[in-house]
Amino acid sequence: MEEVRIGVYVCWCGNNIAKMVDVQDVAMEVETLPNVVIARDYKYMCSDPGQDLIISDIKKHRLNRVVVSACSPRIHELTFRKALEHAGLNPYMFEMANIREHVSWVHNDREEATRKAKSLVAAAINRVCWHESLEKRSVEINPATLIIGGGISGITAALEIADAGKQVYLVEKSAQLGGFASKMCLTSPFMYSTTQMIRAKINKVMNNPNIQVLLNTQIEELSGYLGNFTTTVSEDGRDLELKFGNIIVTIGLKAFDPSVIENYKYGILPDVVTSLEFEGMLKAGKIETRDGRIPRHVAVIHCVGSRNATYHDYCSRLCCKNALKYANMVRAAIPGANIFEMYADMRAMGNGCEELYSVTSKKNVMFLMFDQHNGLPEIRKAGPKDNCDMIIELDEKLSGERIEVPADLVILMVAIEAHEEAKRLAQVTGVSMCGNQFFIERHPKLDPVATTTDGVYVAGSCQAPKDIPDSVAQARAAAARVLCTISKGNVEVEVTTAEVNEDRCCGCQTCISVCPYTAITFDEEKSVSVVNEVLCKGCGTCGSTCPTGAIRAQHFTDLQILSQIDGLLEKSMELKEV
Amino acid sequence: MSKENSKPKLKMAVYWGAACGGCCVSVLDVHEKLFDVTANADLVFWPIALDTKYADVEAMEDDYIDITLFNGAVRNSENEHMAKLLRQKTRILVAYGSCAHMGGIPGLGNFSSKEAILKQVYLESSSTINPGPVYPETRHEVKEGVLSLPEFYNDVRTLDQTVDVDYYMPGCPPQTERLLEVFMAIVNGSELPPKGSVIGALDKGQCDECERKKSDNKHIREFKRPFEIEDDGETCFLEQGIICMGPATRGGCGCRCIEGNAPCRGCYGPPDDVPDPGAKMMSAVATMIDSDDPDEIEEIVSQIADPAGTFYRFSLPGSILRRKINTDI
Ligand SMILES: Cc1cc2nc3c(=O)[nH]c(=O)nc-3n(C[C@H](O)[C@H](O)[C@H](O)COP(=O)(O)OP(=O)(O)OC[C@H]3O[C@@H](n4cnc5c(N)ncnc54)[C@H](O)[C@@H]3O)c2cc1C
Ligand code: SF4
Ligand code: SF4
Ligand code: SF4
Repeated sequence: MEEVRIGVYVCWCGNNIAKMVDVQDVAMEVETLPNVVIARDYKYMCSDPGQDLIISDIKKHRLNRVVVSACSPRIHELTFRKALEHAGLNPYMFEMANIREHVSWVHNDREEATRKAKSLVAAAINRVCWHESLEKRSVEINPATLIIGGGISGITAALEIADAGKQVYLVEKSAQLGGFASKMCLTSPFMYSTTQMIRAKINKVMNNPNIQVLLNTQIEELSGYLGNFTTTVSEDGRDLELKFGNIIVTIGLKAFDPSVIENYKYGILPDVVTSLEFEGMLKAGKIETRDGRIPRHVAVIHCVGSRNATYHDYCSRLCCKNALKYANMVRAAIPGANIFEMYADMRAMGNGCEELYSVTSKKNVMFLMFDQHNGLPEIRKAGPKDNCDMIIELDEKLSGERIEVPADLVILMVAIEAHEEAKRLAQVTGVSMCGNQFFIERHPKLDPVATTTDGVYVAGSCQAPKDIPDSVAQARAAAARVLCTISKGNVEVEVTTAEVNEDRCCGCQTCISVCPYTAITFDEEKSVSVVNEVLCKGCGTCGSTCPTGAIRAQHFTDLQILSQIDGLLEKSMELKEV
Repeated sequence: MSKENSKPKLKMAVYWGAACGGCCVSVLDVHEKLFDVTANADLVFWPIALDTKYADVEAMEDDYIDITLFNGAVRNSENEHMAKLLRQKTRILVAYGSCAHMGGIPGLGNFSSKEAILKQVYLESSSTINPGPVYPETRHEVKEGVLSLPEFYNDVRTLDQTVDVDYYMPGCPPQTERLLEVFMAIVNGSELPPKGSVIGALDKGQCDECERKKSDNKHIREFKRPFEIEDDGETCFLEQGIICMGPATRGGCGCRCIEGNAPCRGCYGPPDDVPDPGAKMMSAVATMIDSDDPDEIEEIVSQIADPAGTFYRFSLPGSILRRKINTDI
């Protein structure tokens, strides 16, 4: 083995680390450890001068390993790996010790914190000794894209990609494209006609030679990996094999079923309708009761199934502004009607929404507030003497009074839920779901359309309740990401994958079923297991499973991990004795 | 006389530390091949068969012995003394058998302590009456002089935790054929593997040689002991819910246990790159448990009889775990 020459860099992170950790002391102490050629502390290691420090040291001191003790590797591992590359070192000859999130931010005893930082740095130094150079790998991208779900999100992404000249397979479960947007009349807050918007888009999709639309179709199974996926769908009773390099999942939302909320008597009283059903009335151009009368009193109840611990904790985001839309449309259609907005909190946020709120409040609409925690409004059938069909009773929060409100038509602003297909599709595509069964993006702030499965993107209301502009923006972002990989032609894939040592593997097959990415198969002829490097995500599960020690999770070998632990313990014991 | 006999004979020693004697007997098991052995080697020290004294060994020059098969773990001061002495007098020191290699069955004593073991043996066992109570002493004066006994250690150690070891020959005991192969290789002057190698065993795990049918269908809902199943004689033990140490154990024994319809116990020790076969096998077995429900998993795990003894039967002192630290619990 070549002589190991390590450079160690202890970052202050301004005052973030330095205030709780004696960074100079850490650097001085670890400089005495075996194989450490140089150890320094510096104010901001991630800054350009910080990185230049590493690069010039690598050249000057012939370093072949680098340890940076700073923040989380999630934030800056890549930054420093790039610095190593600039200096001509393999980027994997690097290890980071996190002394910010793991030390300075969570401790308040400077001496103890410094001691812990030393242990962590010693562990990293021990580990990096055993690092090996790993070569980057890339796979070719099939330029076709599969889009699952033909709502506004799917349509938008499909057009974006097809207009760039690339093939799209647009798979829609129902008999037509458009999703919820095509079930709506006008959109809040600017009252555009959805029919005009969506019809034109659907026509464009249908006439685009680069888009193959598959209606009444579902994806049951998927094989392959980023760049090279395959699935089989049935078209007119015949099996059709599709091959594509990327996937965008846009399966959209589901409207909450309010019949579970007893107070609202949905399904019992005929003129209690959901927002979705009301959109149908608007589209048909008639606001009327079930028996064809014009309602004189119209009540709109917000937060039906949202922001309520019994149903969904989250806010559905769309309902308040939509409810305002309905008030306006009722006012326009029935000028003399009494309109009541029963809200828990008015949350009409976004472009033009506050304006819509103030306009609506000048249109003789009665805003009544209720407290979700103090019981929901209760709807009952009116008596023969009441001059209305229904009575809604509620504790009005602002006045502090219990009041009764007349209604002939009640519109329930139902929550937006994840699609009932979400769970199945998560399994098929390998996308993770949050507790509410919305798909999870790779990073909530910095990577909002990718998922943890390479080559699979999400867009629209399947990822969180979203309105049309947000869905469209996300769909275009996903399309842009896909086009990026297509135009590059290939992508770099994880190199810290597992590998089977065929001279060790005894063929017990314990590893096969543990791989969450089905990357392992058994080679009957050689009687050994084989890891498909492209499918493998380097999770390490098989490495810790293989009882024979035949699988090595690269960059996480037993030797690397055990020596890291050794370093951690040795240093902390040694320091304790002092 | 043939030319071979004009070659200087090898000087060979076989010694036992904390062992059951089986390893020494395995050397005898070469049967008539013993003549081949003695034709090529002088056995200069072998307490089970020859009446050579420690003093005779002490009188030998350093490196006088060409090869010593040291079996047994290091459990007391006598074992340690002899290990060091033989190291000094031997060119090639072989840790012979599971106990010298990894600690072996005596190594399970590391789940207990010196104090607890002595108490059990000299005071609490039902066949013992010891009102004193009197415990073994390392020194006892009588009018004729001083009597001494080796000191019993708290720890059982492997041979290589005591002295530098050249080769390891695993097994409880090692297969006699393997011993002969190794012996003849040395006699014939074949090139020896690098120091520290395991010899007389294969690189791959038992499963590679095992003829039972195996698949990836290792989903265990109930752990069983061999007498609790009707073994079909064909299917991998693990797939029948029986813990078999096969995949974490080097081949080379000829699948002795499995051929006898008993699961592998792990005496041949782990393949390279497995520092702790017990831990490796536990983590492998953990992935086979076919449940996601924590309570049910606990219930299934509790069916494993004597997990410590099952997973670390031969390997405790040499493993990362090495011993139980707090023996009160
Ligand atoms: C009552 C109501 C009123 C609204 N009003 C407004 C408004 O005024 N303004 C506004 O901006 N937004 C409004 N929205 C929100 C708007 O509907 C959504 O933002 C938009 O529909 C999201 O589009 P999408 O493509 O993500 O999902 P969707 O419209 O839900 O489309 C998803 C598509 O995927 C299909 N699909 C589902 N599962 C599968 C599968 N397994 N395989 C294949 N295809 C599948 C579905 O059939 C559907 O066609 C409203 C929503 C509701 C419920
Ligand atoms: S678990 Fe290890 S030894 Fe068993 S088949 Fe897989 S790679 Fe081979
Ligand atoms: S490291 Fe993880 S993803 Fe890769 S083969 Fe092993 S179990 Fe599968
Ligand atoms: S686990 Fe045991 S029974 Fe199963 S294949 Fe391996 S050695 Fe044979």
